[in-house]
Parts: sequence; C-alpha cells; structure tokens
Amino acid sequence: MSGLVIALRKDLLLQWRGRLQIVAVFAFGAAALLLFSFAVGPDSLALRQHAAGFLWLALLLASTLSLAESFEHELEDRAIEGLLLLPAGPRALYYGKAIANWTQLALLGVALVPVMVVLYDAGTTRLLPLLGIILLGTAGLSAPGTLYAAMTAQARARQALLPLLLFPLVVPVLLAAVKATSLVILGDPMGQLRPWTTLLGLFCVVHVSLCGLLFGRVVEDG
Amino acid sequence: MSPRSRQWLAPALVVVGAALVCAGSAWGLFKAPPEVFMGEVQRIMYVHVPTAWNAMLALSFAFGCALAFLLTGDWKWDNRLEAALEMGVVLSLLLCMQGAIWAKPTWGVWWDWDPRLTTTAVRVLAVGAIPALRAFGEVPGRRAVWSAVACVIAFADVPIVYFSVKWWNSLHQAQSTPETVSSAFHWPLRINAFGILFLWTGLVALRARLSALRLREETAPPPPAEAAAATPAQGAW
Amino acid sequence: MSGVIQGGEEFVIAAYAVTAAVLSAYAASIYFRLRAEKRRASREEGR
Repeated sequence: MSGLVIALRKDLLLQWRGRLQIVAVFAFGAAALLLFSFAVGPDSLALRQHAAGFLWLALLLASTLSLAESFEHELEDRAIEGLLLLPAGPRALYYGKAIANWTQLALLGVALVPVMVVLYDAGTTRLLPLLGIILLGTAGLSAPGTLYAAMTAQARARQALLPLLLFPLVVPVLLAAVKATSLVILGDPMGQLRPWTTLLGLFCVVHVSLCGLLFGRVVEDG
Repeated sequence: MSPRSRQWLAPALVVVGAALVCAGSAWGLFKAPPEVFMGEVQRIMYVHVPTAWNAMLALSFAFGCALAFLLTGDWKWDNRLEAALEMGVVLSLLLCMQGAIWAKPTWGVWWDWDPRLTTTAVRVLAVGAIPALRAFGEVPGRRAVWSAVACVIAFADVPIVYFSVKWWNSLHQAQSTPETVSSAFHWPLRINAFGILFLWTGLVALRARLSALRLREETAPPPPAEAAAATPAQGAW
Repeated sequence: MSGVIQGGEEFVIAAYAVTAAVLSAYAASIYFRLRAEKRRASREEGR
C-alpha cells in the first residue's frame, strides 16, 4: 500500500510540474469542441442534442495526448528499470500512474463542461450526477489507456499506435458516458440513467483489475 | 515445427475445407428452396452463419494461444497467436462484408448497427491493431508478451462491447439479424460450417509455420564472419 | 416485416463471390509467403 502512495505522489508531482502541458491539452479539447460545432452547423437544437457526444469525443481525443505523454519521464535514462527494482512492484507503479492519469482526465472533463455549456447551450443543474459520470468515464479511459501508454511509449509510431489500440476497447465507455451525459443534460423522464452508470462501473472494475494484473508482464524485461 | 510426418495435414485440411465449402455453397445456392419471407436473400445465411461461428472460434483460439503463451512462455503459442489473429481478422472482415450485403436488400441500408455485427466491427479494429503493435516491436520476447496481453484485454472487452451496443441500439431497432434457419435447410449450413472450420484450421497451421520460420530467422545468431564485428544488441527500453 | 423480399439474387451472388474471393485470396497469400520464406530459409542453411 505504501508503494502505491509513493508511486502516486511521484506521478502527481510529475503532473504538477508539467501543468503547462495540461493547459495545452485543455486548449486542444476546447478547440475540438468548437470544430465539432462547425462540422454540424449553427443549428442550436441539433447542437444541444449532441452536446454530450461532442464532449466525450473531445475528451477521448485529448486523452490520447495526455496518455501518450504519461510515460515520457519513465523513458528518460531508462528510469523504468530503476523503478521496477523498488520493492513497490509493478502493480503499485501501474495504479499510481493510472490514478494520476485519471485525475488529469477528470480535471480536463470538468474544465470542458463550461465550454460545452456555452457553445451548445447544454447546461444542467444536475451537477453531481454529471461529475459522477465524468469520474466513471475518465476512469474507464485511464485504466486501459495507462497500460497501452506503457506499451506504446517506446514504439516509433506511438502517436498513432495508442489511439489505434485504445479506441476500439473504450467503445463501451464512449457509448455509456455519452448516453448518460445526454440523459443528465436533456432530461431523463424514464429513469434510464442507472443502467448506463452501472455499465461504466462494470467496465472500470473489469479493466482496472485486468490491466493491473497484466501490467507487470508488459514492463518486465524480455 | 511439426514433425515431417505431419507436414501434409495442414494443406490437406485446407483442401478438404475448401471442397466442403464449395459443396455446401452449391447446395445452398441451387438445391435449397427459397425461404417463405426472405426469398432468395435467405441463401446468404448459408455462408454468413458458418462464417460467424468460425470467426468466433478463431478469435477464441487466439485468446487461448495468448493465455497459453503468458502462462508457458512457449514460442509455438506466439506463432499460433500471430496466425490466429490474422485469420480472425480476415473472417471478421468477411463477416462484416456479408452482413452489409445481407442488410441492403433486407433493411434498405448497408449498415443497421445490429449489435452482433457492430461488435464484430469493433473486434476487427481491436484485434487488427495488434499486428500493428507487433510491427513496431523489435524485441521478440516483449513483442510476444504485448500481443498476448493486448489479445487478452480485447477478448475480455468483447462481452462488454456487445451489451453496450445492444442497449444503445435497443431504442431504435426492434429487429435483429434473424439467424434462425428452419430445419429443412440445416445441411448446407453444417457442411459450410465444417468446411470453413477445416479451412481456417489448416490455414492457421500453415501461417503458424510461417511465423516460426520468421522467428527462427530473427533470433538466429549472426553468421560467423559478421559476429566478430557486431556489437551486442541493445534492449528497446 | 410483411411480404416476401423480391429478387435480391445479385446480393446473394455477391455474398458468395466475396466469401470465395476473400478466402482464396488469403489462402493464396499464405501459400506465397510461406513458399518465399521456405526458399529464403533453405538459402540461409546452404550458406
């Protein structure tokens, strides 16, 4: 457990030091939201209908940037080998990194909500459910994303490889998060929110445990 | 490598499989009567359903190979994994194409977001990305572990993808791809199913041989003249 | 869905043709790749 805390501290510290980059990723996400509206046209009704989809697409695209960079420091001077020698073990390494990525993505999601509200007139007073969905959805992105970021970190074409591997896997997250967010924004007369959040939760549980289990094999030598 | 005596088995499987598929398809095309509601289009089911079964089987086999490699570290499982992944992608792509060809005359659109076919499309992308991952892995050991891990995660994801697409689509679609075939028409279906089974089993075995040969070439020590001048290889990390 | 779907034979032919084409093309690709690799391997051993 203490290994996890140490790993988490290291990763959060790294993220704090690189906060300028996080701002850049936010700018990317906001720009994406703007571009989506150009793609659909100025029909405010249609924009409001699809606001949830745009938010999560922007978040997904932005996640490829932030996830791809997350193992950058471990690559310098082959630091990963040193880290693996510590008694904390690869699992602590994984969870520390995954939680740090999750935090960054969740902050990104929360920051993009006002942009969505303004551009698409997609406001809601149900902020707590919205926060919950963002937390669940970004956890679902971060769990497999961290694993694949470790795999592709050293690959020559890592910018293209990470989304290629990750996107098909997180289709359930996209579907469920968009559906749930849509229900929160547009209204949920038939109470359909529960199944979607349950699906998100299930996805997170499966992938957090599976990826944690397999991470050790991914970073071990040879 | 399989022993000399069994080298003929894989090509034989391919030939027998191909023959069965031809026979079953001919039966389904010409001999079986048209179905009551769907008319001629029903005949597509005689290839579509067997392809669906076999695509699932091939990818399940790939998953088995991935697990086997992670647990045993035996290289033959990585060779078979590479082969099974390729075969699974080919069969799944074929499935999507057949599904689209079936959907157009039936529903009027090429794609109707049917949960099964949509999940297949997602699987094509998920599993198809793994050879791309392999192409960038220079160290065979790491490359094999990564493919196996990616395969396991992709496989674990499939049920979740299926259910999420099913719920997502349930509000819009009352129909689903009917795969019920009345009993009189079972024979073309069974013949094709076994035909494709033998075909892909033989092809995977042959493809695995290709992987084994390539692996041997990759891990072979350099010829004596070059060894003196060569420096030890650096690890990728 | 009421009524019988009329025609559609060209789709049936297309489905079978695509199936045959994809499977034979893949089988052929394995055959050629394996043959090339075997030739290269026997050349290596001859060295």
